[in-house]
Amino acid sequence: MKVCVLLRLVPDLVEELEISENEVVPFQYIPNERDEHAIEEAIVLKEKLKDVTLDVVGIADPDSADEIDEGLGFAAAKGADKLYKVILNRQTFSRVEIAKALADFLNDRGYSLILTGVQAIDSFAGSLGGALARFLNLPYIGGAVELNLNEKLYVKKELEGGISAEYRLPLPAVVGVLSAERPLSFVPFTKLRQAMKRAEIEEVELEVPKISGVELVRYETPPEPDVLMLEGDVEEVADRIVEVLRDISVI
Amino acid sequence: MEIEEMLENLFKRMEEVPDYEKFFQCIQCGVCGGSCPYSTGTVFTPRRMVLAIRAGIVNEVIESFSHWLCSSCFTCSLRCPSRVPITDAVIPALRELSLLQGNPPEELASALISIARYGNPFKKSPRKRDDWTKEVEFEVPLMAKKKSAEVMFLTGCYGAYHSRCRKITKSLAKIMHMIGTDFAILGNEERCIGDLARLNGEFGLFEELAEKNIRTFSKYSFSKIVTHDAHAYNALIREYTKFGFGKEVLHHTQFLHKNLERLKEMFNSLDYTVTYHDSCYVGRRNGIYEEPREVIRSIPKLKFVEMKRNRENALCCGGGSGIWLDSVIKERVKYRPAESRVKEAFSVGADILVTACPLDVPMFEDALKVTDLEGKLEIMDISELVLNAIEG
Repeated sequence: MKVCVLLRLVPDLVEELEISENEVVPFQYIPNERDEHAIEEAIVLKEKLKDVTLDVVGIADPDSADEIDEGLGFAAAKGADKLYKVILNRQTFSRVEIAKALADFLNDRGYSLILTGVQAIDSFAGSLGGALARFLNLPYIGGAVELNLNEKLYVKKELEGGISAEYRLPLPAVVGVLSAERPLSFVPFTKLRQAMKRAEIEEVELEVPKISGVELVRYETPPEPDVLMLEGDVEEVADRIVEVLRDISVI
Repeated sequence: MEIEEMLENLFKRMEEVPDYEKFFQCIQCGVCGGSCPYSTGTVFTPRRMVLAIRAGIVNEVIESFSHWLCSSCFTCSLRCPSRVPITDAVIPALRELSLLQGNPPEELASALISIARYGNPFKKSPRKRDDWTKEVEFEVPLMAKKKSAEVMFLTGCYGAYHSRCRKITKSLAKIMHMIGTDFAILGNEERCIGDLARLNGEFGLFEELAEKNIRTFSKYSFSKIVTHDAHAYNALIREYTKFGFGKEVLHHTQFLHKNLERLKEMFNSLDYTVTYHDSCYVGRRNGIYEEPREVIRSIPKLKFVEMKRNRENALCCGGGSGIWLDSVIKERVKYRPAESRVKEAFSVGADILVTACPLDVPMFEDALKVTDLEGKLEIMDISELVLNAIEG
């Protein structure tokens, strides 16, 4: 059985974007945590079923192409069999367009199961998995916390109010993983270095097509706040504050 | 991992530590277990760990979690009549097996991943490492600008990021500034020195950090490193030498002692009673006992009292390699050494418990809160005490 996991990069929120008059210090990218959980769950599935081949597809832009290597290295150290680095050539950040490009890439590769993180911090709509399934004409379920296979795929999901539910769907399918059924396993540095030395990463460039249907009408900046700057010495400013507070009926 | 593979990995790693062969000279006397602050909570005391490894049942040690209940205090290693390197070889090699199996305690895993990614265990931006310099009223010189200085002041991760420990860093920087030391910091170029990663079995990460840090050091001209981070001091003098680093390194207790004549001229009298806690990697591991005591005793009017467990018999604060394992240890052992230690300091009549390792201060301050000693006993780093004496 062939399983594929998609691994995206997201901005690292530990670093702040620094903008000065002379330069913009860029933030770094790190693997999307939900995708790391998808890889972990695929490893769990591999341990359960033994005959699973796991491919991990790292998705990057030309400027973050090197940064995906570490995430792929971690996947290899955990037990991924084949690694792809997909570099997107795109004009927009539409997940639907990326899903179409990925669907064209993944189609006919014989995957029984395609996993992705249900969400990414830069895309709360969580549309990648669903859109991908639509383009591949496969069933999709998001929010998985455990996967089991017994002829069909059994997916456990946590619902509102502490209720959990189990769903059954035929393969092939696309699943959006919320979290793996165990904590992310730790990869020591030595093991990571060895895996990165050994790993053969197949690099692929993907053209991201323009898709009509949903059009961006406009971007809107937030309205300018009504700010009143009070200047002068303490007495003047205090008098002015009283005046303003009276005007707006606070006092 | 099969047992044979585990044993092979374990011995391969232990062989790298000097005096590793003394492992085979263990006479099973049990002094180690009797000396361990956490022995009551562990199935495998160090003696039993050695026995289990010899018997080929290392998997049982790993499954028991006993190897994580060690704060690397070095008491067992120091007291061992056969000098088995328990703290430097046996425990880290056992921990490495858990890391290779992918399941260390979560709190520790998170700290190690953060060190690898950001150069500190707190998941903080490396660009904010020198933020503490904005909180002092003089300009702290940067090596990147100055290029050359007599002293390179290493803050360590706790000294740079931990809100309480930053006060210690600022005190020491202020003292250096006041006595005219020609010093500079690496600032945002500094990365974790890595001693706690090593003691927790993350040898690959430690090597990476050592190589990176030594490359950074080599960009600048300086004659010595001064640090108040006891674990950074330990790694620099004992481990970094294996990677070709050879500069003089002073712990801040030694630095203050070397400048004592100058400091004495600036001291005002302090009407306190203080006691001194020998931090594990200042005292027991590296033999610095008298320098801090001489500095403390030279402050006019200050009354100095010893605790019963002093010098090599000092009780560990529980920090060490355990500061990231604190909650894990607490689940298994009710007794917390830091609580016992602050009670001991209070019982000898001290107003202030003076320490010389940044890990001690938050450990002891937390202990004050649960022992009802808050407001009755104060915790200070030696540099804070010295600054108090200067400023009166």
